[in-house]
Amino acid sequence: MLTLFDGLRDVTIWSVALRMTLAVVCGGIIGIEREYKRRPAGFRTHILICLGAAMTTLTSQYLYLVLGQYTDMARLGAQVVAGIGFIGAGTIIVTRRQRVKGLTTAAGLWAAAIIGLALGGGFYEGGLFATFLILIAELFFSRVEYRMLQNAPEVNLYVEYSDNKTMDTLLQEFREHGLKILNMGIIHSKSNEEHNACAIFTLRLHKGLDVEHLKQEILATAGVVSVREL
Amino acid sequence: MLHQLDYLREVNTVSVLLRLTLAMFCGGMIGLERARKHRPAGFRTYMLVCMAAALTMLLSQYESYMLHHVWAEKAAEIGIRTDVSRFGAQVINGIGFLGAGTILVTGQQKVKGLTTAAGLWASACMGLAVGAGFYECVGLAFLLIFLVVHLLPAVELYIVENAKNMNIYVEFQSLDNVAEIINRIKAKDVTIYEVEVDHGKQTPSQHPNAIFSLRMNRPGTHAKILAAISELEDVYVVHDI
Repeated sequence: MLTLFDGLRDVTIWSVALRMTLAVVCGGIIGIEREYKRRPAGFRTHILICLGAAMTTLTSQYLYLVLGQYTDMARLGAQVVAGIGFIGAGTIIVTRRQRVKGLTTAAGLWAAAIIGLALGGGFYEGGLFATFLILIAELFFSRVEYRMLQNAPEVNLYVEYSDNKTMDTLLQEFREHGLKILNMGIIHSKSNEEHNACAIFTLRLHKGLDVEHLKQEILATAGVVSVREL
Repeated sequence: MLHQLDYLREVNTVSVLLRLTLAMFCGGMIGLERARKHRPAGFRTYMLVCMAAALTMLLSQYESYMLHHVWAEKAAEIGIRTDVSRFGAQVINGIGFLGAGTILVTGQQKVKGLTTAAGLWASACMGLAVGAGFYECVGLAFLLIFLVVHLLPAVELYIVENAKNMNIYVEFQSLDNVAEIINRIKAKDVTIYEVEVDHGKQTPSQHPNAIFSLRMNRPGTHAKILAAISELEDVYVVHDI
């Protein structure tokens, strides 16, 4: 352990002040990126959760080291881990298109709580380094993630078409390209004048086949009204 | 256990830094496969969960270390009463809750998000192992996950392609249509072994629907069956589950 923090390992007025300040700062650092992306849990939410978590470990150390109570120092903090899981689950929403949103926010909140626990417990090395790693993940890996999504081998296509025969032609085309249909769904709508059915395909692409190119080709098929990537 | 790693099994600055970095890396590995499939939890989520789980284990080891060294005097006076796995135990719980949020039952009786939840939970458990400094287990798990991520898509594709059973969900105008749908299915040399019909409500938004469990006698008829059913005028929605 770093000797730098040696004087701050006990529960004193200075270490309490430092730990709580660090919790606010680290919570803020994690939250600032979320705020920047306009996600539901922003800056203040992360700070509150991080600070609250820090207080639980501080309180149990206070009970043990200062008051001399015979207690388990991990008990309060352990419940934070489960409790923030609950709060996090509340941030997850299911949109109308049946996509899950808010999972990264939930995970971020949870991580902020645990960093708060570490800082409150006086485990400065762990808390600070974890914050640093999260910062790297947010700044660097979010770009990697977007790039990976672009190159994902699975693609969801939404096709509107006007004629039942179109479906057969499309299936034929997919087979010719060697595309695997992982899932498909068809919806008929009679009220629409432009098309009378739409289909959603989940396809597995292989290397050397561009999505844009595929979309162009589907659009060129007789009877297809529009193609969109989901 | 490998004795070369003994130094890293202690709680010291080097092992803390190493374990947290390792946890993030391992979480990312699990997430990689999910991200490839356009799934909601990208690999950053897995990284966060895995790393934070490792931090809980490290924190409790740190407290136990302090009790035996810096606070040893106090501890001898009061008596030590702690459990190193207490923080970690709650991770298993808490991430279970988080995962529950990703699971959803769609209106068409289909469960989604289960694999995401399971993956998240697995990466949390991996984080616990990393945080505890159980390097052998982590190394092995890393190897296995790497293999699974790279080999499984091929196996999965093979299974999906050659699957004999399929479930399809069909929404139609009235129950009189069922007979015709069954005829269409039978024409493709497919056995129907279960039909679950829902009469629907009188509201326009919910049509009667049925879930057919089929067994195909010939491979590759999958898409053809769906196309054949969709040709019927009174069918609103068809898709496989």
